[in-house]
Amino acid sequence: MKRLLSLMLVLCMTMGLAAMASADGVADALAAAAAMSNEELYEKAKEEMAAGAKLNFYSTTSFAEKAASNFMAAYPELADKVVYAEIDDGETYSKLTNQIGSGVKDSPDMALVQNGPDLKVNLLDDGLSLNYFPDALKDVVPEKYQDPTVATFINSLMIYNNKEGSVGVKNVWQLVEPEWAGKVFFKDPTNETVNLNFLIMLTSPEWTEKMAAAYEAYYGKAWESGEFASASYEWIDGFLKNVNYTFTSASKIATGIASGAAGNMGIFVFSKLRKVDENDRPNLTVLQFENDVDCFSGFMYNVYATVCNDTDCPYTCALFINYLLSEEGFAGEKSWNSSQGYYSPNTTIAKPEGLEDQAYVYWDGKLVFEDLDYIDGLGADYNEVYRFINVRVSK
Amino acid sequence: MTKGAADLRREPLKYRLRAFFGKPANLILLFFLITLTVLSLMPMITMLTNMFTVHAGTEKKMLRQGVGSWTLNHFQMLFADREWSQSNFWTPFLNSLIVAAGSGLLGILIGGAVAWFITRSDLKCKKFISAVFVFPYMMPAWTLALFWINMFQNSRVGGGVVGMVESFFGVCMPEWFVYGLFPMIVVIGLHYSPFAYLLIGGILKNMDATLEESATILKASRWTIIRRVTVPIVMPAILSTFLLIFSSGFASYTVPVFLGSATRTFTLSTKMRALIQAGYEGQGYIMAFFSILLGTAILGLNQYFTGKRKSFTTVTGKSGQVSLVKLRGAGGVISALLILFTLFFAIMPLVSFALESVIMQPGNYSFSNMTLNFWIGTEDSAFETGMPNGILMNGTMWMGLLRQVGLALTVAMIVGTCGMLVGYACVRRRGSWLARAVENLAFFPYLMPAMAFGTIYLAVATSASFKWMYGSFFLLGLVASVKFLPFASRSGVNSMMQIAPEIEEAATIFGVPWVTRMRRILFPIQKSAIMSGYLLPVINVMREVALFTLLVPYPRYLLTTMLFSFNETGYAQYGSAVTLLIIVMIIAINSLVNKLTGASFDKGIGG
Repeated sequence: MKRLLSLMLVLCMTMGLAAMASADGVADALAAAAAMSNEELYEKAKEEMAAGAKLNFYSTTSFAEKAASNFMAAYPELADKVVYAEIDDGETYSKLTNQIGSGVKDSPDMALVQNGPDLKVNLLDDGLSLNYFPDALKDVVPEKYQDPTVATFINSLMIYNNKEGSVGVKNVWQLVEPEWAGKVFFKDPTNETVNLNFLIMLTSPEWTEKMAAAYEAYYGKAWESGEFASASYEWIDGFLKNVNYTFTSASKIATGIASGAAGNMGIFVFSKLRKVDENDRPNLTVLQFENDVDCFSGFMYNVYATVCNDTDCPYTCALFINYLLSEEGFAGEKSWNSSQGYYSPNTTIAKPEGLEDQAYVYWDGKLVFEDLDYIDGLGADYNEVYRFINVRVSK
Repeated sequence: MTKGAADLRREPLKYRLRAFFGKPANLILLFFLITLTVLSLMPMITMLTNMFTVHAGTEKKMLRQGVGSWTLNHFQMLFADREWSQSNFWTPFLNSLIVAAGSGLLGILIGGAVAWFITRSDLKCKKFISAVFVFPYMMPAWTLALFWINMFQNSRVGGGVVGMVESFFGVCMPEWFVYGLFPMIVVIGLHYSPFAYLLIGGILKNMDATLEESATILKASRWTIIRRVTVPIVMPAILSTFLLIFSSGFASYTVPVFLGSATRTFTLSTKMRALIQAGYEGQGYIMAFFSILLGTAILGLNQYFTGKRKSFTTVTGKSGQVSLVKLRGAGGVISALLILFTLFFAIMPLVSFALESVIMQPGNYSFSNMTLNFWIGTEDSAFETGMPNGILMNGTMWMGLLRQVGLALTVAMIVGTCGMLVGYACVRRRGSWLARAVENLAFFPYLMPAMAFGTIYLAVATSASFKWMYGSFFLLGLVASVKFLPFASRSGVNSMMQIAPEIEEAATIFGVPWVTRMRRILFPIQKSAIMSGYLLPVINVMREVALFTLLVPYPRYLLTTMLFSFNETGYAQYGSAVTLLIIVMIIAINSLVNKLTGASFDKGIGG
């Protein structure tokens, strides 16, 4: 019995050490990869593939599938070696935390994920995934988007059905008025973390102040505390009361508003306009392109690239991330940049001409930008904000 | 104590053990006792501990405690925080009760009425109505939910997307009719009404008609006969059916998700998944435990009623002559109405899914708005639709289908074989505590709602020791095998009960080995029952969503979870195409089962 126990102990220790060694190996490889050229990485990637590896990557954005196929076309010897799986936002981190290190066949090697605060708490802080950013792009990508690495920015905008003309929204407080009850569409924030983060961001000191100013501008009197802790909380309460949750995805909101009743408005991912049938497309107006809104007309969030600590192809992951951050990867045929609502952190990549969109910088000040540090820093207060939102969504 | 006395005491034990292990039935029972204890009870224990521990993600972030440390916070939030508790537990719980009770009553009302017309009246087209009426029971319940939305969504509710009824007839139904508790009750009730029809119809068909005839001779009116004779006789079956539909309605996940999301009408199972997804795993596990407790109580109650029925059956013998109620002029109208009703819920869903899978612009059913691109499109349309090509040309879809079929076949092999072995061993050792324990353990997973059952295995697969299982095909096979074992083991027990032990004993005397006895004697005799045991799990796996939704590595891993993902994320046409594909496959498998076993759902009722 003692011998058996000793054997098991040794086995466990060996497995633990092997796992640590594997994570260290990946970290070392990524550190080395950061300084390599794409040609060198391609050679290393070919070696990894020859050794039987495959790059399995999870993504919450469907465009990543196209990015993967373009990547394989650009690096033909990696053909059929990059496998994409779309994953629902709500379960991203439970899936990843449980699959990383599980040793299950086809578990992910890297992921493109949204909701930075959860990426930090669930994966990066625990070392389950590692950050990779190429040295060559350090000068063209702002430092704050290098760790964790931002692959793309995505915005969600207020867009309405214009069949009966303009809805005339110029101040966000209009959206809490009774006439908007059931007419504003928003994806359930308890299911979609970026929507949740948008509401949480409104409770930050900066946005609370702006919301109070917008309140004063709209109602002609200063906001006074009473039932709610701040103007932002009051707005969230009123807004969620008016929200219609018929559509469970951004695509459904886009197509639903376009083919639905006049005057309906949604706050949904701008790029989903591509899903709208061309006959219905003229029915939609992006509010921001009509007029400025006091104090925001949507929100902006980040999609991060992260490498799993148990990958057997760290160099291929690095090459793929380089590709996503490059002009070729981000702005190639039918890639992210060819759609509205995707913006590269690489400042050398501009939005193409003729697209009904603006550059990333245009949206600064007009949208609520997700701030990883603010949300992560909430700590125990996070529960209070979440609780406030959850009970209002469930009613 | 002398050495001789000790030997005497030891010897019989040795012989007893030798005799015990010499019987294959004992070995089988022992094997299943250990296996099922590990597979049924151990996950329960893991789930129980998970109700008191901190999980990674939101809980860790919120509580600022290490993962795995003990906490009572989940209970505190779920039951002591008034607002949270109301919206996350009590309201969903109440909704579940309303849906369960409503669908139970509706199922009995529709199923019972049709059963009465078929077995007790001179209704026309009985065979046709009986065969088509059971159709909605074959189809997964969620297909009816999607069909309901396709039909009744309209410009005045939700997002104003036009459905078929508005498009063709210009009629707009109110919101409560399209989304929320009412359609949930209707859809689940309709789905299970064939179940009520089969159970009540079976009793009515076999009921001693002399009781009703005696009442007729005594000049009792038709209504009095129904009220005072027929209903009391079928009452235990009605109660039992009600409880079974109640239990299924309470546990239903997919129907409330499709019909409740728009109006934020949560039930316990949809809230359970929502909380787990939002990172409140501990509270999700508490809700799963609560569902299991309630499921156990309901089925216990059902056992009580079905047990009572035995004492009810005081009349022996059976009249061969059943005098049918003459419907006269109403017969034609009732037949026509029933045919219309059954066709609407049996055939129209197929038409609806076929149409929805080819239209480009929602609500526009003109030919100019149709395309086969969602099925066979090969152009690079990822940009517009999010999928590289039509589902029949898409590798992800084929992989999902392949996995689903592979899973169905694997589970069928395991469940069919285990069910048969459990049946054989339990019957051979009937009355022993070991047989009773194994039979109960094999039935145990039936008490658990699919979503809760998936949840407890999620708890196991996310624990440090079993992480290697998480997201694997093995885990899905294991979970489905345990979950679907109750049907196979019950069918195994029933079929083996019909075989007299003398047949096997005769072969044993001639020294025929156990495997040969099974292969050459027992299998051939109960061929069709055993075949059913193998084939029915195929249908179960092919239409299962709730059990797998938390366990797949990613949503498009299996065909059913892929469909669910399509519908959640807005790929409506692809979702309809996959739904149609699943229904057609289920019908095909069901026909195959009927052909191979000679059995059919409505056998013996519709004539």
